[in-house]
Amino acid sequence: MSVQNKAGANRAKWVLGAPLILFTVVFVAVPVFQGVQTSFYALTLQDPSAPFAGLQNYRDLFSSPGFLNAARFTVGFALAVTTIETILGFGLAMVVNRTFPGKKIFFTLLLMPIMVAPALLGVMFRLLLNGDIGLVPALLDKIGLQISLFAPDSVVPLLVVLDIMQWTPFTFLIIYAGLQSFPTDVLEAAQIDGAGRLRTVASVILPIMKPIIFAAVFLRLIDAIRTFDVIYVLTAGGPGTKTTTLSIFIYKTAFESGGFGLAAAASTVIMLLLLPLVPFLVKRIARQEGDLA
Amino acid sequence: MTTDAATSLATGSRGSLATRPRSPRRRRLWGTSLVVGIIAISVNVPWLNAVLVSFKTEGDIGRGALSTHLAPTVDHYMNALGASGYDFPRFFLNSTLIALGAVVLVLVIGVPGTYAAVRLGFGGRLIMNASSGLRLLPAIFFAVPYFLLMSNMHLIDTVPGLIIANTFLNLPLGIILLSAGFRDIPIEVEEAAWVDGASTYRTLFSVVVPMLAPSLVAVAVLVFIFTWNDYLFALILSSSNATPITLGAANFVTSTGIRWGDISAATVLSTFPPVLFAIFAQRFLVSGLSSGAVKG
Repeated sequence: MSVQNKAGANRAKWVLGAPLILFTVVFVAVPVFQGVQTSFYALTLQDPSAPFAGLQNYRDLFSSPGFLNAARFTVGFALAVTTIETILGFGLAMVVNRTFPGKKIFFTLLLMPIMVAPALLGVMFRLLLNGDIGLVPALLDKIGLQISLFAPDSVVPLLVVLDIMQWTPFTFLIIYAGLQSFPTDVLEAAQIDGAGRLRTVASVILPIMKPIIFAAVFLRLIDAIRTFDVIYVLTAGGPGTKTTTLSIFIYKTAFESGGFGLAAAASTVIMLLLLPLVPFLVKRIARQEGDLA
Repeated sequence: MTTDAATSLATGSRGSLATRPRSPRRRRLWGTSLVVGIIAISVNVPWLNAVLVSFKTEGDIGRGALSTHLAPTVDHYMNALGASGYDFPRFFLNSTLIALGAVVLVLVIGVPGTYAAVRLGFGGRLIMNASSGLRLLPAIFFAVPYFLLMSNMHLIDTVPGLIIANTFLNLPLGIILLSAGFRDIPIEVEEAAWVDGASTYRTLFSVVVPMLAPSLVAVAVLVFIFTWNDYLFALILSSSNATPITLGAANFVTSTGIRWGDISAATVLSTFPPVLFAIFAQRFLVSGLSSGAVKG
């Protein structure tokens, strides 16, 4: 590369990078700064004059039962669905990972729940679960079960089941994609050694697949923690505040109660909790560029 | 590399764990079809149910889900697309404009920016790290700041406002996928263009970008789907004029909740763009999603 070219490239990198810098400053840096800043002000929808409030929002937040309940529900929900979906997704990936009739069409069908908008899926769930015209209540009624699906006792298991229906295809896809790059010679060696099927899974496949399963868990977990659409459309966080996730709590605090400062404080706390995970993700993506996808 | 993995996924079973089908295994293969088929249909029950309801008359819907009385009708689709009192056509138009706008903006910002970062040392690792970091933060964190920002810019309830918001949400994904695409292009190709005296811009736009086509399509498809499916920012940043279909459909249910036939038809229609992509652009979706770039 000639000297002249090098100088040209040096200028070019700033020209080519300019739109990205501009967008990042105006639409990323400013909002992040404004978000953190708002958390120190008593800003409300009703009172935009916003006196400085110091740490008051944070004190309010940690003494607010709403926030702590939402945090507890979100973490419990996220851990439950992630665990179940990873196990089911792994099982499904093992089953699908062979040639069988109809594979292509079933594979496409399995991907569909990931593509449908979660909010629209919420609408469809409402239709499916509607007490008067829904399929599920009608079937339950038929076998003599009179369950009110949205009652306080059954609403959480219901949401877990719905989440599993929607997102097991995602963990399946990640793990299945990983299986495609699985070294077949290792497996053949295991089979020649006479290792049984379960043993092959336990002592050959699982150890090699560990990073990919870990990735599926991690990706699913951070998405489950931010769950909003389906639950908001289905229950709006109720009955009471029973199914209020952190995202729903922040949304309601800001846009229904008008407590922008408090909502910003909650957002900042979540960000601080998630920030230590960033290097992990960065490392994962860097590694994946090298092998998997 | 990206496309290789995707192709093998889309076409099925290269390197699969099971050994080749032998006749004694025939029955087990059909057993696999049965099990996978049942699961594949089960996870789509909400959608299939909505399709079914959308073709039933109001009377049949009212008779309950198990009623076998069927008189298929397309009335609900006509209503969803044109009856007065519904805004669905406008919701569709808004969704389309917002999604296309976000695709264009992500590519216009992402392609040169990522090229500069990957090949010209622009920003070093910072850009990749920041993109991955933003991927991690819940969108809700930006709800309040974006509402304030868009209010200040008078972009609340406008299509451009939602285009910007969705560009912001999807740019990290775009940069991650594009950087993988750029890295897959052999540096020798660019060096040859340099030697021939092409400027950096010419090298990028006439030599590199055409080779980047698979990544560009993957980014475009994913950004389109994720923007089309966005609900949270639509809820915060639009009230009527710029309302996309996700918000429109959800609002419709909460406000009336009676006209299930019409709402089913509208919902089914609005799942079509993503579903068509799932069928016809599958390899791009699979490679994009499995690069850890999905968002919730």
